Amino acid sequence: MIPIEAFLIFAAILFAIGAYGVLVKSNTIVVLMCIELMLNAANINFIVFSAFTTDVVGQVFVIMTITVAAAEVAVGIAILLNAYKTKGTIEADGLASMRW
Amino acid sequence: MDATIVTDLFREFTPIAPMLIMLLGALAMPAVALGPKRRYSVSAAALVVIIASAAVNVILLLADYTGTYAGLFEYDAFAGLMILLFHTVVALVALVSSSSTETTKLHFGVFNALLLAATMGMMFVATANDLITIFVGVELASITSYILAAMKRNDPRASEAAVKYVIVGGLSTALTVYGLSMLYGVAGTTNIEEIAVALSTQGFTWAFGIALVTMIAGYGFKIAAVPFHMWAPDVYEGASSPVSAFLATGSKKLGIVVFFKIFLILFVTGTAVASFATEEVQYVFAIIAALTMTVGNVVAIAQNNIKRMLAYSSIAQAGYILIVLAVMSEYALTGGLFHMFTHVFMKGGAFLVVGALICAGVGEKISDYRGLGKRAPFMAFAMLLFLFSLAGIPPLAGFTSKLILFSATIFDGNGVMTQWIWLAFVAILNSAISLYYYARVVKAMYVEKGDAEKIKVPKAFTVAIAICVLFTIVLGVYPQLILDFCSSAAATLFG
Repeated sequence: MIPIEAFLIFAAILFAIGAYGVLVKSNTIVVLMCIELMLNAANINFIVFSAFTTDVVGQVFVIMTITVAAAEVAVGIAILLNAYKTKGTIEADGLASMRW
Repeated sequence: MDATIVTDLFREFTPIAPMLIMLLGALAMPAVALGPKRRYSVSAAALVVIIASAAVNVILLLADYTGTYAGLFEYDAFAGLMILLFHTVVALVALVSSSSTETTKLHFGVFNALLLAATMGMMFVATANDLITIFVGVELASITSYILAAMKRNDPRASEAAVKYVIVGGLSTALTVYGLSMLYGVAGTTNIEEIAVALSTQGFTWAFGIALVTMIAGYGFKIAAVPFHMWAPDVYEGASSPVSAFLATGSKKLGIVVFFKIFLILFVTGTAVASFATEEVQYVFAIIAALTMTVGNVVAIAQNNIKRMLAYSSIAQAGYILIVLAVMSEYALTGGLFHMFTHVFMKGGAFLVVGALICAGVGEKISDYRGLGKRAPFMAFAMLLFLFSLAGIPPLAGFTSKLILFSATIFDGNGVMTQWIWLAFVAILNSAISLYYYARVVKAMYVEKGDAEKIKVPKAFTVAIAICVLFTIVLGVYPQLILDFCSSAAATLFG
C-alpha cells in the first residue's frame, strides 16, 4: 500500500507549483489557473485523509470546494472580460494604475 | 421575551430562520426589478426583506434562543449579535444604493440580490459550527462581493479593482482550503468543538502548524491584515461608495468572525494542554495586530484620496480588533465585539458621506473638501463626528469601544496586569497618529476656503448618515445598549 506521506507530498508539491505561478505569472488567466491548482492540492489532501480514515466528510468537503471553485472561476473570467473591455488588457502590468 | 412566534413558524429551521428569509429575498430580487422601473421600489423591497429577517433575529436574540440545525449551524447569543451587525450594515447600504449615482442602473435587481446573498453568507458564517459551513459561507459572501465591486461598469478603476479583488480572494480561498484540509487531517472531523477536543489531546503537531499558518494567511487576506492588505485600498477606492462601505464594514467583520470562531474556540479549549503552544500563537497574533494598525495608520497619512485614506484607516481598525486574538480573554472579546459595532457606524457613516458628496459632484480628493463646512453643513458635521469617533475622542462611540478594548489589553477581568501592555501602548500611540490625518480632513472642511455654492445630497443618504450619527453619539454615552449583548456573546464563545 502507498503510504499517506506520498500523497501529502504530492499535494504539497502541487500547492507549491500553484503558489509559484500566482506569484510570477503576469497573465491573469494563468494566475486563475494556478489558483485552481492550489485548490486541487487541497482537494487531494481531503480525499487522502478521507480514504485513510474512512470518514466521508472529507469527500463532502471536496464536492463543496469544486462547486465553489467553479463559481469563482466563472465570476473571475467575467470580471477579466470586463477589465479587457474597459482597459484593453488583462496583463497584471497593465492593471496597476492604483498603487499605495 | 418569548420566541414561540418564530419557533412555531419555522419549527426545526428556527436556527437558520433569518438566513432563510434573506435567501427567499435574494432569489426574488431580480424578478422584483422586472416590474417597477424605478430603482427605489426595488430598494424598498430589499429593505422589507432585511427588516423581516432582522425582526426574526431580534426576537430570537432577546429570547436567548439557542438551537442547532443539522449539526452544522448553531444559533446562540454570539451568532445572534453578529447577525444583527450584518443586518445593520446591509440595511444602511440598501437604503442609500438606489439614490447613488455610482451604483448600476441597468442591473439594480441583481445588485440587491447579490447584496442580500452576500449578507446571507456572512450570517451563515456567524451561526456555523463546522468547517464546511464556514468555508461555504465565506465563499458565498466573497464571490458576490467580487461582482459587487465590479458592478460600477465602464469605470477602468472599478474593473482593475475587481480583477485584483478576485485574484487575491482566490488566492486566499486556496490557502484557507489547504489549511482546512490539514486541520481535517489532524483532527479527523470538521466540527470545530470536536477539533478542539481532538487537538487538546494530541497537542501541537507539524501538520497543525501548516494548517495554522495557511489559515492565518488566508483569512488574514479577508480582513486585510498586514502583510495581506495590499488589495483593500485599491478595491475600496475602485468600487462604488455604498459597496466600499459594505466591504469595509461587513466583509471585514466576516473575516474577524471566522478568526473568533475558529481560533478562539480551538485555543481556549487547547490552553488546558501545556504542549499546545498557545502563547506562541498569541504572540503571532499580537505582532500581526501591531503591524496592521501601525502600517494602516502610517500609510494613511500619505493619502490624498479620501476613500483610500478611509481604507487604510479601516485596515488599522482591523488591527485594533485583532488585539482580541492576542489577549484571548472574555473581557477583551467583549470590547472587540463592541468595537466591531461602533466601527460599522463610524466607518460606514464616513464612507456614506463620501458617497453622498460624490453624488453631489464633489471629488474624492481631500482638497475637494475645502470649505465643506459652509457648503454642506450637515455632511461636514457628520464627517467630523465620524472621524473624531474613529480617532477615539470622547464622548463618541469610538472612544468608549477603544477604552474597553484597550483596558482589557492592560488588565484581565480581575484587575491583574497582563503581559500585553506593550500592545495597548502601540494601539494608543496609533490612535494619536490617526488623529493627525483625520484632523487634516476636518481642517480642509472647516478652516480652508473653497467654493461657496451650496451642495444638495440625496435624501436617502441624509437619512442613513443621520442614523449613523445618532448611533455614534448614543453608543458613546450609553454603551449598555449593545454592551450587554456583547458580554453575553463573549461568554458564549468562552463558555
